[in-house]
Amino acid sequence: MTSHLSRRLAFAFTLPALVAIAPFVAACLYILRFSLSGEQGVIEGFSLTPYYELLTPYFGRSVWITLKLSLIATSVVIVLAVPLALVLVTLQSNLARRLLTVTILLPLILNLLVQAYGWVLLLGPSGVINSTLIALGLTDRPVRLMFNETGVLLGLIQTSLPLAVFPIASSVRSISSEYLEAASSLGATHWRSFRDITLPLLRPGLVAAASIVFAFNASAFAIPLLLGGRRVQMVGLAVRDMISPLFNWSGAAAGGMVLILLTIFVLFASNYLVRKTTARIGT
Amino acid sequence: MKTALLPGRNGGSFTFAIRLLAVIGILVCALPVAIVTIMSFSASEFTGFPPQSFSFRWYQDVWALFTAADASSAQSVSEATLTSITVAVLVMIISTVVCVPLAYVLARSERRVREGMETLFTLPLVFPLVMLGIAFLLMAESLKLELGIWRIVIPHVALVLPFVLRNCLGAMSGIHVEVEEAAVSLGASPARAFWDVVIPMMKPGILAGLIFALIISFNEFTVTFFMYTIDISTLPIWMYSRTVSSLDPATLAISVVIILFDLVLILLVDRLIAGRANLF
Amino acid sequence: MSDTHLSIENVTKSFGTVHALADVSLNVDRGSFVCLLGPSGCGKTTLLRIIAGFEAASAGSLTLDGKSITGQPAHHRGFGMVFQSLALFPHMTVAQNIAYGLKLRKAGRAEQSQRVEELLEVIELPNIADRPVSALSGGQRQRVAIARALAIRPSLFLLDEPLSALDAKLRENMQIELRRLQQKFGVTTILVTHDQAEAMMLADELVVMKDGRIRQTGKPTDVYRKPADRFVADFLGSANLVDARVGPGGKLVFLGAQTGHVAPFSENAKVSVAVRPEDVRLSLPGTSDTPVNSAIAAQVVFRRDLGAVSEWILSVGDVEIRARCPRNQNPDASVGDEVAVDIDFEDCQIYAG
Repeated sequence: MTSHLSRRLAFAFTLPALVAIAPFVAACLYILRFSLSGEQGVIEGFSLTPYYELLTPYFGRSVWITLKLSLIATSVVIVLAVPLALVLVTLQSNLARRLLTVTILLPLILNLLVQAYGWVLLLGPSGVINSTLIALGLTDRPVRLMFNETGVLLGLIQTSLPLAVFPIASSVRSISSEYLEAASSLGATHWRSFRDITLPLLRPGLVAAASIVFAFNASAFAIPLLLGGRRVQMVGLAVRDMISPLFNWSGAAAGGMVLILLTIFVLFASNYLVRKTTARIGT
Repeated sequence: MKTALLPGRNGGSFTFAIRLLAVIGILVCALPVAIVTIMSFSASEFTGFPPQSFSFRWYQDVWALFTAADASSAQSVSEATLTSITVAVLVMIISTVVCVPLAYVLARSERRVREGMETLFTLPLVFPLVMLGIAFLLMAESLKLELGIWRIVIPHVALVLPFVLRNCLGAMSGIHVEVEEAAVSLGASPARAFWDVVIPMMKPGILAGLIFALIISFNEFTVTFFMYTIDISTLPIWMYSRTVSSLDPATLAISVVIILFDLVLILLVDRLIAGRANLF
Repeated sequence: MSDTHLSIENVTKSFGTVHALADVSLNVDRGSFVCLLGPSGCGKTTLLRIIAGFEAASAGSLTLDGKSITGQPAHHRGFGMVFQSLALFPHMTVAQNIAYGLKLRKAGRAEQSQRVEELLEVIELPNIADRPVSALSGGQRQRVAIARALAIRPSLFLLDEPLSALDAKLRENMQIELRRLQQKFGVTTILVTHDQAEAMMLADELVVMKDGRIRQTGKPTDVYRKPADRFVADFLGSANLVDARVGPGGKLVFLGAQTGHVAPFSENAKVSVAVRPEDVRLSLPGTSDTPVNSAIAAQVVFRRDLGAVSEWILSVGDVEIRARCPRNQNPDASVGDEVAVDIDFEDCQIYAG
């Protein structure tokens, strides 16, 4: 027996997994087909009408809000994730590193409702921030922080931060500290080494992390639903509204395809960017 | 030693700025969870901050919710929790049983095949969750499929496959084909070698995958939001329907129980794959 | 004439309860080439990193040209350093790497490129300025790393086992190259190595370290000829360390034979004698070139010819002695034969105990 398995065994071992993922593939194809349907409620004939009907100011606004919020959230996440990754990698104590890992990881895994409750308690009219502001006399009326873009933005940042921290941390781990020492021996200050050495070496990792975060945020649903209170209509919510009150299934499918294409485009573009930069470094 | 990346002493303004941003990051991550935990111990119905006094009354309320036979609401919290657990356990078992042999085959096959299959099984991870929910809903509704609990189990399996497969592949990467050949040379059949040698060596990775599947399915909201029915719904959906208009402290108490459950499982995974693999 | 450039006084470094350096003092003369030599874990790299400013000493002080630099951050010291991994910046070209230190010093573009050209000329790689670092061979990387460190006209040139990754032949060439560059620039240089041949060949001043302490400092030949203790004798040139004692009249009794050599120890003192393999002379017993004074009978246990020299292991009772003879002084003996061993104890160091 060599490392080449017999074909029959390989097939037998792969089949269960293929069966498990088949509904997913079927659902993907099904939604693609539905988006090209001539009827709103059933699959009937071929037509691009569902896509044409998306060209409304309403859906356009959704796309605009989605792009805007995802972009801002992604920028903030990267600005916070790089320092977190640096601290995480340089922590000396095992216990501290484990605690920090769990703290960062929890928001990614924990039931989104629980986190939304947390934000409501923080940002609501009688929440922590407003009580503090009023107690300090900075304002006499609660500031509106929730059910608008601010609340959604904070929620997006929080839930997507872990997605960026862990890949960036593994990029940080692969930077030899001798590079920084070499820069320092040549006269670079800490800021200068960070700008000239750390950031350029992290660039592929940063681009990859940013694209994942962007894709995740662009397709956000639960956060705008729970924290936006329907006032912040990101694409995910707009698509859902086509189904639930409107029963425009083919329209929802087409809107969904737009979202998927957007995500795929971002992932491919960043993949291309990463390849280009690593090819230049050539290691 | 990586101190040069973030100098501890003599770090000056650089270290200060990095640490400040890191602290902000930690606050953003942890504050919502911390505040939910604090407020769940509040003694008052009013969810304003800070709480005037502390008590366990909401935890007692939750206990009562679970124990009392609640016929009034369409679906009680205990039923929803039971469904959540049943779904999570089914998802955990199915995804693992399916991924272990797949990981074994992929680890032993050519690079091209391996990369292709990995890409296929990573797709659910990059696919927008809303779309996954809508796609499954459209398919189930327009084809009028009667699936019962499998309405939720099937999409959840697709969701956790990338995580479970990654853990199993990670576990396989340390197992050289020679250990199997050694078993065979001693008289074991290939199937016996797989069972006696490979599976035990994969165990930490398999367990980590199991737990990941459990956590993800148990906490899943978005896809379930599209798939639930009046008869089959999970704990997160129950919480959503209860708090759609306003927050009530009893839900916060349930939240804290969920937080603890997740924390224990994460720590377990961390211990299982300590230092040997990335969580993501 | 001694012109002290760098002065290290009573430097101590502890990591928790582990003492990496214990009370190390050293003066480095201007323009000299100093090699820190010792086995791994002896503290030589820690000492170099303290000089560079990457580690802080737990106690003690550093003085450069009479001014204290003890607490000065690394990026203000202006010492060029070559790292073990070379640490060439992978995202920069050769020219960008070499010019980086000048760029930090706000040198003009013209000045930068002129200096880069100059250094590439010196390291004899004039046409590689625009290549990415990853396209260079091992030896080329080495030279670029050296050029990068020298480009800033460093007051001290520090090297941390820079040649350890090269194969033997390339390594020897680079040693010669390095020595020539150092002499050309006249820069005070400190190199860390665990390779005694490398240290012997490069150093003006050899510093042998063990367990966080300096065991001996001196010119390489002096250290080699007169090792201060048994460790240095063994580490530098792998001497035979043979237990002996002092007989009547202070005369050495070596492997049971009374010698004529007077040792500066009291009678009956136990001593050990460090005998270098090349100081052991062999002959066939009873032939004309057998010396009469102190021949010891030994049996050949092992012999191998390496061309220019031959190496022997001989047994005298239950003691084994290694010998190395030039080609033209090989006795005609093979394993199992008896040979006469002659040692001139004037060339040997004798230690108490």
